Amino acid sequence: MYVCYLIHLASYTEEYEKSLGYYKHASLFWIDLISLMSSRSQSLMSTGPFRKLGVNAKQVGAEMIEINQELTEFNTRLGEYYKQLADTWNEAQKQFSKKVPEIPTDVENLDAIKRIWIDIFENYFTRLFDSQEFAENFGNLVSSELELAKHWNNVTSLMLETVNMPTKKEIDELYKELHLLRKRVAKLEKIANHGGNGNGK
Amino acid sequence: MESELRIDPRVLAEFLQLNRNILDAPKLAMAPDEINMGMTPHDVVYSEGKMRLLHFNSTWKKQVKTPLLITYALINRYHILDIHPRKSWIRNMLEQGLDVYLIDWGTPTAMDRYLGFDDYVNDYMNNCVDYVLNESGVDKVSMQGYCTGGTLATVYASLHSEKIKNLVLTAPVIDGSRDDTVVANLAKHMDVDKVADIVGNVPPEFMYYVFSILKPFEQGIEKYVQFFKNIHNKEYVENFIRVEKWLSDTPPIPGELFREWVKNIYQDNLLIINQMRVAGRRVDLKTISMPVFTQVAVGDHLVSPECSMPIHYAVSSGDKTLRIYATGHVGMIASSFSQKKVLPELGQWIKERSEK
Repeated sequence: MYVCYLIHLASYTEEYEKSLGYYKHASLFWIDLISLMSSRSQSLMSTGPFRKLGVNAKQVGAEMIEINQELTEFNTRLGEYYKQLADTWNEAQKQFSKKVPEIPTDVENLDAIKRIWIDIFENYFTRLFDSQEFAENFGNLVSSELELAKHWNNVTSLMLETVNMPTKKEIDELYKELHLLRKRVAKLEKIANHGGNGNGK
Repeated sequence: MESELRIDPRVLAEFLQLNRNILDAPKLAMAPDEINMGMTPHDVVYSEGKMRLLHFNSTWKKQVKTPLLITYALINRYHILDIHPRKSWIRNMLEQGLDVYLIDWGTPTAMDRYLGFDDYVNDYMNNCVDYVLNESGVDKVSMQGYCTGGTLATVYASLHSEKIKNLVLTAPVIDGSRDDTVVANLAKHMDVDKVADIVGNVPPEFMYYVFSILKPFEQGIEKYVQFFKNIHNKEYVENFIRVEKWLSDTPPIPGELFREWVKNIYQDNLLIINQMRVAGRRVDLKTISMPVFTQVAVGDHLVSPECSMPIHYAVSSGDKTLRIYATGHVGMIASSFSQKKVLPELGQWIKERSEK
C-alpha cells in the first residue's frame, strides 16, 4: 500500500516538474518573441524610461518565473516546518494526557498540572529545536526565503535601472568602497600620528 | 445522566483576579517606551562609526590604577549590565573601586555590512584600548567580555596580548562543536554566505525568532502569566519591563561579521583549534598568557558551559580561574545572585592582579 503511494507520489512529482518546465519554457518563449518583435519600434524612444522598461521586461519576466519556482520550494519547506511543530505538539499532548488523565479542579493541583504541562511541552519542543532534522529544514526554509529575496531584489534593481536610480548592487559596491577607504584613511592617520610603518603598525 | 462540573471557587477567584490584574496593568506598569535604560551616569569619551566608548562616572574611591574595559556582546545592548541600581554590574564594579569603561557597538546600518572581525578587533577595540591607556596613564587594561563580547575579547587578547593585564570572560562563545544550544544547532545548518550576500546585515527579527524558540513555553507563556499575577509588586513589575525592553532591542549584526562568526566559531570551529585568522593573522590562544578568569553558568541556554569552558584549558596562562555558577546566562550578570556571589569574587580577583 505504502509502496503504491510512493510510486504515485513520484509520478505526480514528475508530472508537476514537467508542467512547470513547460510553463517556464512557454513564458520565456513568448517574452523573447515579443521582445524581438517590438525592439525596433522601441528603439525610437531610446532615451526614455519605456525603452529601458522594454529592454528589461524580459529579465523581469524571467525573474518572476524564478520566483514562482522558488515559491514551490518555499512552501514545501514551510509545510515541513509546520508539520514538525504540529507533530511535536501532538506527541507532547499525548504524553501529557498519559501523565494527567483527569484535570483536577482545585487550586493546588491545577498549579501543579500547569507546571507539568509546561515541562512536558518545553522538553518536547526543545528536543525538536535541538534536532538535526529541524535545523536542516529550518536552514533550507531560510535559504529558499533568501532565494525569493534575491529575485525580488533583482526585480527591484531592474525597475530602479529603468528610472535611472542606483541599484542595490551599485549601492553595495559604494559601501564596500567606503569601507575600504575608511580603513585606508585610518591606516594613513596612524602613520601620520605615530610615525608607523607602511603596514600601519 | 446529567454530569456535574465542580470547580473549586478559589480557581474561579484566581481566574477573575488575573483578569482584573490584566485590566489594571496599564495603570500600574510603565510602557517599555517610557523607560530610560542605563542607570549609571557616563560620558561618551570616544566614538568611531556607530561604536561608542563609555566611561562611567564614579563617586567611589578608585582602588587600583588599571582600568576595566568591558566589551559588550553583539546581540542586545549593554543596558543589561546596568539594568537596575541594585542589580547593576557596572555600579558594583565602580563600588569596588574600579575605573570602568564599556564598548557599546551601537546600531550598524546597511553601510556597515562589510565590517568584520578585523574592523571590530583591530580597529574599534584596539582604538578604544589605546584611548583608555592614554587616559589612565598605564600600559595595560583589564578586559572583560560578555557572551559574544567574550569571543571578541579572546581574539583581541590573542592578537594584542601586550595591552591586556587581566582577561575576564563571562559566558564566551569559544568551542562551537561543543555548544549544544538551539542557537548553535541552527547556526551549524545555515547557509551563512547566502544570508550575508543577499540581506547584508542580519536583521533583529531573525534574532528574535531564535530567542523565541529557546524556551517557548516558559518564556512565551508562563513569564507573562507571572507578570500579570505580580502586577501589584512594584519592584517585580519595573524589573520585568526593563528586562523585556532590553530583550526586544537588539541591533542588526554586520553581514560580514556574521559570516565570519558563524563559519569560524560554529561551522568550522577554527577558534579553539588555533586556526582562525583575522586580517591574515592567526589567532593562537596559546599567546594568551595573562591572568584569565572564566565565568560560566550551568543553566545557560544561549551559550552552553561546554562551549565556554575550553578557553580555560586552551590558554597558556599560569594564573587562571574557572568558576561555574548555578544560574543562567542573564542571571550571571543581572541578578541578586550576581551581586552577592559573582561580582564580589570577580572584583577581588581583578584588584589583586591590578596596578595599585
